[in-house]
Parts: sequence; C-alpha cells; structure tokens
Amino acid sequence: MSGLTYFRMAALFVLGALGHWWWTTYFSFWGVAPQLLLVLTFVVAARRGPVPAMSFGFAWGLVLDVYALHLMGAASLSLTLAGWLVGNVRRQVDVSSIAPQTVLVFVGTWAYFLFSGLLGLLFMRHFGWPGWDVFLLSPFYNCLLAPVLGWLWDVTVES
Amino acid sequence: MQPHREDRAANIVLASLSAASIVLMFLPMARPIRALRACVAHVFEPMTFAGAEAMERLSLVPSRARQLIVADIENRALKEEMARVGLVKAELANLRAENSRLTAALGLGSPAGRTVLWGRVMERDPVTWYHGVMLDVGSREGVPINAAVLAHVDGKVVVLGRIAEVSEKTSKVLLVTDEFSSVAACLSSGTVEGLVQGQGSERLKMNYLHSEASVTPGDEVLTSATSATFPPGMLIGHVAKGFARDPFLTFQSAEVRPGFDPASVKEVMILR
Repeated sequence: MSGLTYFRMAALFVLGALGHWWWTTYFSFWGVAPQLLLVLTFVVAARRGPVPAMSFGFAWGLVLDVYALHLMGAASLSLTLAGWLVGNVRRQVDVSSIAPQTVLVFVGTWAYFLFSGLLGLLFMRHFGWPGWDVFLLSPFYNCLLAPVLGWLWDVTVES
Repeated sequence: MQPHREDRAANIVLASLSAASIVLMFLPMARPIRALRACVAHVFEPMTFAGAEAMERLSLVPSRARQLIVADIENRALKEEMARVGLVKAELANLRAENSRLTAALGLGSPAGRTVLWGRVMERDPVTWYHGVMLDVGSREGVPINAAVLAHVDGKVVVLGRIAEVSEKTSKVLLVTDEFSSVAACLSSGTVEGLVQGQGSERLKMNYLHSEASVTPGDEVLTSATSATFPPGMLIGHVAKGFARDPFLTFQSAEVRPGFDPASVKEVMILR
C-alpha cells in the first residue's frame, strides 16, 4: 500500500471512527446523518482496491458494532463486503470519478441497510429497519459526502 | 501485484474477515467475543470522552470570544484611564511639592501628631463679628468637633478658636473672642499661666494670673501646655494693659489684644 504508511493507516482509522461519532452525535438533522464509515470504505476501495478497503471496513465495522450495541459483527461483515464489492467493480468502472461514484454510493447505501436488516432477521429474528426517513434520505446525504471525502483522500493521502 | 494474485489475496481476506464477522454474530456471548468487545470499547471510550470535551469547549468558543472582546474594550478604556491618572498623579506630586515649599516658606509646620486641613471663611456676620465664622469644610473633609482653628497673620500662626459645629459641608468656629470661649494660656515673659476668656468684643481678658506676677504691655500671650485643644506656644495675642490689682482677689487680670482681626481672616488651619 504505497503512500499509506502504518501511521497514516492508523490516523485514517482513528479519524474516520472519531469523525463518524462526531457527525452522528452533533450534526444529525431530523435524525439523519451520513454513513461516514461506509462512504470512507467506498473511497478506500475505489482508490486502493479491495484488500485495504476490507481491512478498514472490518475495523470500522467493529467500532460501529461496539457503539451500536446490537448484533456484534453485522456492521463489520457489511463493510467488509462493501469494500470487496467496490474493490472488484473498480476494475470495470472508474469508481473514483463523480458519476459512477454517486450511483455506487446511492445503491450501496440501500444495499447496506437491507443487508444489515437481513442479518438482524437471520441472527436476531428481527429485521433491523432504520426507518423510512433514514432509508430515503441517507443515500442523498452519502452521495454529497462521497466527493468531499474523495477529494480529501486525494489531497492528504495521494499527494 | 498481478490481478490474479490480488484477487486471491482479496478472496482470502474476504473469507477470513467474513468468517470472523460470522463467528462474532453466532457467538455474541462467548467469553473471547465479550473480551474483544470490551477491548474495543476500552480503546475507543477515551476518544469519545476527549471528543465530547473538545465539543464542549468548542461550544464555549463564541461566548469566550465575546468575553475576550469585551475584556479587550475594557482594557483599552482602562489603559486610557490609567494614562489620565498618571497625569493627575504627576500634577498631584507637583502640587504636594509646591505645598511643602510654601508651607516651609511660611513656617507652617503642622504640630506633631496632627494633620492640617485648610478651610476658607465663607460667612462672617457683622452681628456676630467676634463670636464665630463659618468655614467651607465639614465632616465630609473630616473636620472633627472641638478641633483647634488657627490663622496665619503677618507671618505668624495665631489662635482663632475651635470648631463648635460641624455639618457635612460646613463647620462653625467659636472664636476666642466669644464670651463662651476660654483658653489656657501663659505669658511669654515668664511661666505665669492664666485663662484667656472672650468678652464678645475686640478684646480678650486674661484672668487668674498670679497676683505677684509682672504683667507688661506687649507681652505675647501663648497657649499653655495644659490646653486640651491647642498645641502649646501658639500666639493668642498681646497684653494691652494690666488691670489694677484688687486687694480682695488672689489673682490679677490683663486685657489682651487678639492676634487676629476677625474681619480680615480669610483662610484658616484646622488641626485634626
């Protein structure tokens, strides 16, 4: 992982987790906040491939699982799969450019919610439905956030 | 890294992490998983605490900034005030120095243990010409009742009277020429003591002089060390004449000309 030293990896992991907590705690409007860690996993996968994306996704997922106090392992599995999928899709499509990235984030957010819900149904006999407002608004929020995070990645990591 | 090698590595990582996640989901209450959960929470809790504290501090930034601006404005105002106070202090020091020079030049040292307060005569009624005057200083300036009042006449400090009434801004002086006034005194020619009493006129009377004492016109009449109000050695007046001795009395008397003219005193010294 050229350009991604251990220090930068650790910093990215900590900043990502802290940023997610900060945004959801202080900047959620009408109960809606972006899935920062999901979008970050997409960004890492689009620029670095599936292996780094899955590693970060799993670690961030563990943090989400601990914070959320629900099904332990659901978020880590969802983000791991998200990193793998986007990392493989990038061979066919330039997922770091705006349009494909937006589509991918939009569809990926819905897929993330549905997959997490199905995992809850499977392991806890309860579909973890986030609510219609979150389900409908979050993809737009994530689509707005994705280019910003991509630009931040290009400026800080790739430079 | 070659594509197929990358695929293989990705698949291995996917399988490993997915398996780990599934184990976490299958065995949520297993001891190692609870330990892992506790470990992750332990690592990230300080971060959230620090973040919450940072946010609290950030939320205080606007009010702190406002306080800082207000403090800066006050600081500027106080600096200007201090500059003005510096000028006033310099002016005060000059005035004190000037006062000291003038006091020394006039020979107006304040008696030991007392401070001097200056006052102006603001009212003098011809009807009570020899009884009292009103001064423009009062309790606000710290004028006490019964304080000794002196006047500066022709280079000498002379006894004028004592404070009889004090209000906030004014005070009244009972002159030594008033009938109710008396001062323990002595003659400059010897240690003969007597009591100078007012007559309600331009003259004073010194009573209770020793019958054998020599009283010479022109002698200075000074305040005695036994006076409770006045410091010793202050000029009251001069002997005008001695009265004829009365064989039935054991003392003699003398007429005293006051050291001041009640009509001309403008400034007085009050001893506190």
